[in-house]
Amino acid sequence: MPIVIFELPDGTQRKVTADSGTVLMQAAVSNGVDGIVAECGGNASCATCHVYVDERHGEQVGPPNDVEDEMLDFTAAERRPTSRLSCQVQVSDALDGLVVHIPEEQV
Amino acid sequence: MSAVTTAAPGAPVVDLDLAELRRDPYPAYAELRRTAPLAWVPSVGRHLLTRYEDIVHAEKLPEVFSSREEGSLLLRTVGPNLLREDDPEHRRLRAAAEPPTRPRQVRDLWAETFEHNAHELLDRIAGRGEADLIGDFAEPLAAANLAVVLGLRNAGADDISDWSRAMMAANGNYADDPDIWLRAEQATRDIEDAVAEMADAARREPDGSVISSMVHAADPVELTEIQNNIKVIIGGGVNEPRDVFGVGAQALLQRPDVLDRVVADPGLWKRVFEETARWISPIGMYPRQLTQDYEIAGVALPAGSRVALVIASGNRDESVFERADEFDIDRPHRPHLAFGGGPHFCMGAWVARHEVSALAWPLVFSRLKVLRLVEGADDLMEGWVFRGLTSLNVTWQTS
Repeated sequence: MPIVIFELPDGTQRKVTADSGTVLMQAAVSNGVDGIVAECGGNASCATCHVYVDERHGEQVGPPNDVEDEMLDFTAAERRPTSRLSCQVQVSDALDGLVVHIPEEQV
Repeated sequence: MSAVTTAAPGAPVVDLDLAELRRDPYPAYAELRRTAPLAWVPSVGRHLLTRYEDIVHAEKLPEVFSSREEGSLLLRTVGPNLLREDDPEHRRLRAAAEPPTRPRQVRDLWAETFEHNAHELLDRIAGRGEADLIGDFAEPLAAANLAVVLGLRNAGADDISDWSRAMMAANGNYADDPDIWLRAEQATRDIEDAVAEMADAARREPDGSVISSMVHAADPVELTEIQNNIKVIIGGGVNEPRDVFGVGAQALLQRPDVLDRVVADPGLWKRVFEETARWISPIGMYPRQLTQDYEIAGVALPAGSRVALVIASGNRDESVFERADEFDIDRPHRPHLAFGGGPHFCMGAWVARHEVSALAWPLVFSRLKVLRLVEGADDLMEGWVFRGLTSLNVTWQTS
């Protein structure tokens, strides 16, 4: 199973095992990673599971879908080119070692 | 799974007086959180779940804490609707209705009309120097804006407002008052007629509204489903922005130092909004029914148990929010529960945020100079299923 790394705003890292076929937000929430709120439970309605994909992995993870793209304009922390909603990022073995950065604010 | 309408074995039974809950539920909630975080309350016919962590836990398990509650007052009032469905049925209806409420749509399609509506209402009262900001501004504004988003061009703000009141009263009609049921039945018939007419119009000419979005949904939606879901949205769509506007405006008028800061730094309006919704949640609780045996808050609940997730209480949980009873826009950020969580996360959240924190508050406080509360005015905060001010009497300088 792939390992993904959530880097908190203070620089500390949380390494978690994620199940292939689930989404990144689920890996964060089920491992109690601070800073991923996920109010809407993964339905792309709330924009509170925002992450910045590390630049090394940007291409691998790919661009946001249409609804996600819209929600990303309204995140609490600034939107950057590498912004994604973690509830829309499918975990796969190819993402083993993925690093994502958690923004300061989610709401 | 049939609803079990009695206390679970082992659940503490706590008598709560509905009139007292309506007046101020927060002391009772504090006591429940301390002594019986899951308690059977006979007058409500449900187990009240009152601690933050337990509520969040339940919200994240919709397959256990089902929205399909038998004997639900909302089902009786409006018929089957997305609030009382689970996925995938809920998702089908939500996907059909949601696009017009997303934040970019709010900004691109509705914001200009919302601003126009707010100015028009303020124009009407500006010269008077005094008003009830609930009845003269917040409620008609919420109703007018809602008509636009829903696509009910054949209804006035007064119609929307009356319908909403009638249905909200029915939805909180735990005392089973027959007059309340009669008024709600009339309102729902009127809404059905109005929706049918506008659904026809939207079929010919899409207009970006919720009705139009549902009419043209990729996964087809019947007219009855559109009607029932519009009823639900009318119910909540007026009182929630109205109540958060009123409670927040009053809180600021009682705290001139905070108001000065917010007026000087409009970026703070967002924080005022989230803190207001946490402090006095416009929706205080919503019901769930267990699909299986499940233990929560130390009580083993049998399948079919009826549970109320008391989000108003979770939002005052001292283990999460220090000095939780205080209104404090500077508190360390923790997510509040006022919009609910999981698949049923409030569909109107983005509309309400824009309508209240980006438009209504800033416009009121910039256009009405030297705004003050009327001393001795009987502006009551009421309700526990839904809670807000019944009026907000203010004065301002007109010259």
